[in-house]
Amino acid sequence: MGLYCDFLAQQEQSTAGMLGAILKQLVNRRGIPEYIRRAFQKAKKEFGGRGLRLPDLVEILKKTITSLQRVFICIDALDESVPKHRRGLLESLLEIVQLSSNARIFLTGRPYIGDEIAKFFSKAIRIPVNPIQDDIKSYLDMRLDGDTDPDAMDDELRADIMRVILAKISEM
Amino acid sequence: MSSGCRQVTGNINSFNVLNSSNVVNLITEADAEGRQILQWLSPLEPQQRHQGVRIDRLDGVGNWLLKPPSSEIGGIKKMVALSQYCSVTGIQGWGKHISGRKASCLEKGNADIIDD
Repeated sequence: MGLYCDFLAQQEQSTAGMLGAILKQLVNRRGIPEYIRRAFQKAKKEFGGRGLRLPDLVEILKKTITSLQRVFICIDALDESVPKHRRGLLESLLEIVQLSSNARIFLTGRPYIGDEIAKFFSKAIRIPVNPIQDDIKSYLDMRLDGDTDPDAMDDELRADIMRVILAKISEM
Repeated sequence: MSSGCRQVTGNINSFNVLNSSNVVNLITEADAEGRQILQWLSPLEPQQRHQGVRIDRLDGVGNWLLKPPSSEIGGIKKMVALSQYCSVTGIQGWGKHISGRKASCLEKGNADIIDD
């Protein structure tokens, strides 16, 4: 299950909204379980359709994950989430995976987020990403090939662009 | 389906792109109540974002993540086997996004088919 955090969607990215998005993907692929239908009908009847409270959502997520063989939860750009919601998200994920040995968590973010993750997942494997020259070169080739003004480009300029950008990136 | 619209069928196990444009519509096979429930669970639509990331990705970029475990930073399969949790950190534009997308494909149960 994947979730992409985004500075531009912080309002929707509450802790419950993010966990709900994970649950949504799980049930959308396998059919909505009866216990979720019942919770929805109850919320509609008694609470005017109010969304699930966080503790209830976490319980339903645990139940749903436990019913599956293996679940990968990938959350991209964690640093783009609101700090208070991020904390709630990490706390909830920890609670969920502690009881679900079939769940795997994969998180990405800018370097400063690593320490925050470690507070909750102290045994997490951490992979620092460095620029891969071949990837950058491939990307530059693609962008230069798609140049909308090819007449302004020649082999010498192309080589200069590649050399300067690759050199700058290797200094980062 | 309107012309110029990329439509995605959320037919339970896949989100197949039927044609291309800048708009992604998710059509699920869920019943009317099912659609209400999905919206009730969360207003977020990560599947649509996933399609956007997938389309923007340059083939081959980020393959280092799947290199054999002996490589310096590769070996996601080994990583998944060893630990329940993993984090990838780096500054903007250095491939975290792509690695996240690749990792999300692990749910298919075979990392070798990641470049779908």
